[in-house]
Amino acid sequence: MGRRWNRFKSAIYTRWHGLTELHARYRGARGATIAQPPLAPLPRPLTACRVGLLTTAGVHHVKQHGFDMVNPDGDASYRVIAGDVRSDELTITHDYYDHRAADRDLNCVFPLERLHELVRAGEVGGVAPRHVGMMGHILGAERRRLVAVTAQEVAALFRDDRVDAVLASPG
Amino acid sequence: MSLVARQIETAGIPTVMIGVVEHALRALPAPRNVLVRFRLGQVFGEPGAQLQQRTILRATLGLLPRASVPGVIVELPYRWRRETYEAEAAR
Repeated sequence: MGRRWNRFKSAIYTRWHGLTELHARYRGARGATIAQPPLAPLPRPLTACRVGLLTTAGVHHVKQHGFDMVNPDGDASYRVIAGDVRSDELTITHDYYDHRAADRDLNCVFPLERLHELVRAGEVGGVAPRHVGMMGHILGAERRRLVAVTAQEVAALFRDDRVDAVLASPG
Repeated sequence: MSLVARQIETAGIPTVMIGVVEHALRALPAPRNVLVRFRLGQVFGEPGAQLQQRTILRATLGLLPRASVPGVIVELPYRWRRETYEAEAAR
């Protein structure tokens, strides 16, 4: 019942975007930290940059475990996605938005094929060897784990791969 | 997600975050933010619409070298299903 109810709600508020905004206001009212974000300079022109993708759309390899859809606080774990993976090797586990469009074309939420095209066209320097899939809708204890563990590990992963820039995108 | 983007940025790697929920972007902005008036689940566009998806991706990455103010939010001019995407041959 829980997962079906969550999926039903997601289908409704994804369909009518005004409800998505209202939902964000309701959830956002509960203790967001607002501080000035940092800003690191782009080290070289985009045409020479190696770009990595970070998605909270629940994307992962079909052979990896899906995300925990039972814990009401969500799941702050992450999945490493190989840069040369084919789109048909990836899937989505996420009950908190309607991903039927992305199930047909993953580039709706995870534009890996489009990024490869920009690299071939010479507009972007290269594609990172590893990308990161996560889910959104992270609350409570999982949010604390996100900040204390996941964020650090994801940052270290991109740093180890000498990634020059990261595109973060939601579901 | 902006919390993770902030941590990546703190590690010295510039990030840009795209979003469709204006309130969420304003409540907790990432270092660089792009707002597009699309819907959840189709942030880069519709299935099979490669030109649309590539246009949104290009515009989002384009903020990386331009942003000089932390937390900046740039709204893209594209409207859901009311936009004609020009061929890229002339670029």
